[in-house]
Amino acid sequence: MAAPPIASGRDIRLDLFRGLALWFIFLDHIPTNIVSWLTVRNYGFSDATEIFVFISGYTAVIAYARMMLREGWLRAAARVYRRVWQLYVAHILLFVAFSAQVAWVSLASDSKDLIEEMEMLGFGENPYRAILEAALLRFRPVNLDVLPLYIVLLAAFPFVLPALLRRPWVVVGASLALYVATCHFNWNLPAYPENKVWFFNPMAWQVVFYVGAALAVLAPQLKRLDRFRLPISVLAVLYLVFAATITLSWHYNPLERLIPAWIGRMIYPIDKTNIDILRFVHFLAVAWLVRLAVPVDAPFLKWRVFGPLRRCGEQSLLIFCLGTFLALSGQVIVSHFEESLLSQVLVSVGGIVIMCAAAYAAAWFKGGGPVAPGRKPSPSAEATS
Amino acid sequence: MILRNGLCALLLFLLPATALPQSMTLCRAKPDLLELGSPLEVARKAIATKKQLRILALGSSTTAGYGVSNPAYAYPAQLKMGLDKALPGVDVDVVNRGIGGQDVEEMVERMRADMQGNTPSLVVWQTGTNAAIRQMPLAKFERWLRRGMDIGKSLGADFVLMNLQYVPAVVAVEDKLAYEKVMAAVAKEYGAGLFRRFDIMRGWYEDGMPYAQFVQLDGLHLNDFGQKCVGKLLTRAILNSLNGP
Repeated sequence: MAAPPIASGRDIRLDLFRGLALWFIFLDHIPTNIVSWLTVRNYGFSDATEIFVFISGYTAVIAYARMMLREGWLRAAARVYRRVWQLYVAHILLFVAFSAQVAWVSLASDSKDLIEEMEMLGFGENPYRAILEAALLRFRPVNLDVLPLYIVLLAAFPFVLPALLRRPWVVVGASLALYVATCHFNWNLPAYPENKVWFFNPMAWQVVFYVGAALAVLAPQLKRLDRFRLPISVLAVLYLVFAATITLSWHYNPLERLIPAWIGRMIYPIDKTNIDILRFVHFLAVAWLVRLAVPVDAPFLKWRVFGPLRRCGEQSLLIFCLGTFLALSGQVIVSHFEESLLSQVLVSVGGIVIMCAAAYAAAWFKGGGPVAPGRKPSPSAEATS
Repeated sequence: MILRNGLCALLLFLLPATALPQSMTLCRAKPDLLELGSPLEVARKAIATKKQLRILALGSSTTAGYGVSNPAYAYPAQLKMGLDKALPGVDVDVVNRGIGGQDVEEMVERMRADMQGNTPSLVVWQTGTNAAIRQMPLAKFERWLRRGMDIGKSLGADFVLMNLQYVPAVVAVEDKLAYEKVMAAVAKEYGAGLFRRFDIMRGWYEDGMPYAQFVQLDGLHLNDFGQKCVGKLLTRAILNSLNGP
């Protein structure tokens, strides 16, 4: 089997857009935040989650495919599982920090409402059971849904990777089939408390991950699509305009009244748990246009204004965890202490500044000291995949 | 130049969010929409004699609190908080038995199990939305609704039916009002209360409140504001009934 040429070198677009997705996730997790008007979800069906999961699939191939071809499957699989372990540890740490913050706010607060709200965010009625369920990834307080999804997706990845390199189209087909079956039969993984399900259903969201992964394998062949660049782009733009019209209509009743009922019957509900096909197609249309607008060697990618974004994208695990933690702080501040537009802006900006500072600190920390002997030129994509 | 145009476009996007009048973020309903049409006698008696009010919230994803940023915002939790405040000295308990995606027949099938053991004095039964979206035949919807009311009443609880939510996914359905009518008729026949969520929420929309204020981006589920507001209004409606003639 001829090794497929996997893109080598760091594609800084991945870092940049992953950083952007992390900022969006933070902003969107602060309810009624005016700054979240800047995020993608207000102008179309898909949101930052698609960006994050897609890039995760794409970078997983870049990080582990060549390792598998060079050092064998077992070694690559072991490395993937080391990463899965890191994600798991990060998730548990985040869970503890998140819960501690909840506990601290309720202990420090005088407001009965806030205490009650915080209690419901935390361990629920049975703390010991909740801790057990959290360790099993079945109990995930609000906003702690994304990492468990990623853990499950990555844990399955080694078993798909060989097929992905040989027959990417077959993998895409199988992934789509699982997605369709999941939506049709309403499959989901069990969660806690009983009757809850995974807010991001891994069996549905895997389609984003594996399409991302397959495109990393197929990247060279993607150029063949460029012959149809114009028609595809026109379709993509038309779809984006349609999606933006619908999404903005939720904010403007006069616009909403112009949408014919038959369109409503066709599109709603636009499910997030099982990633509705409208969302997925919307993301693909965005990705296609971004691919054309931002070539891999676009000079502006290296502009210094984008430095903070790229840094955040490189340290994605750290920044994701920090962002989730800060979003809770932001939520408490904005909804209980200072309900004003100014506080929303300050909390948003403050959170992003903290995230950037942490990203730079982590990069400085990792870059410090002499390079250990025997250490290969860092497969840095792995460190952040 | 590009930068300036970009900034202008950005402001244009941000402007409407700030321009939303304060009145559009208020939780409200016309007073007559908060009349349940049932005196809730079982619940009254439980409060008077046992200083206790046990409520079962039976329903689908709205009851389960799908997608809210804090389970405390789901209407059953709001109901508990509101009643605790309004009925000092009464032991209020709201058991949440919402299961996402379920339709009327699935709820009826588990109703007995959900109610037995620790029988509630009041059942808030949220249903109809999934039936309308999935176009369950009306006769079937009505049959199952009646069956549920038979079971529930035989166990000796008051009922409040919470009807459909006014959201894009439901509004697009042609015969949504037929489901609403069935629920109103069944409530009347069984002496149950009817919480007119559909009309209340339609009121919000017709007053100019945009969907984004109370609906999640999937066009179906209530968001934080929608859930909290429904919870507050339901609390008020139940208190009206308990304190009424």
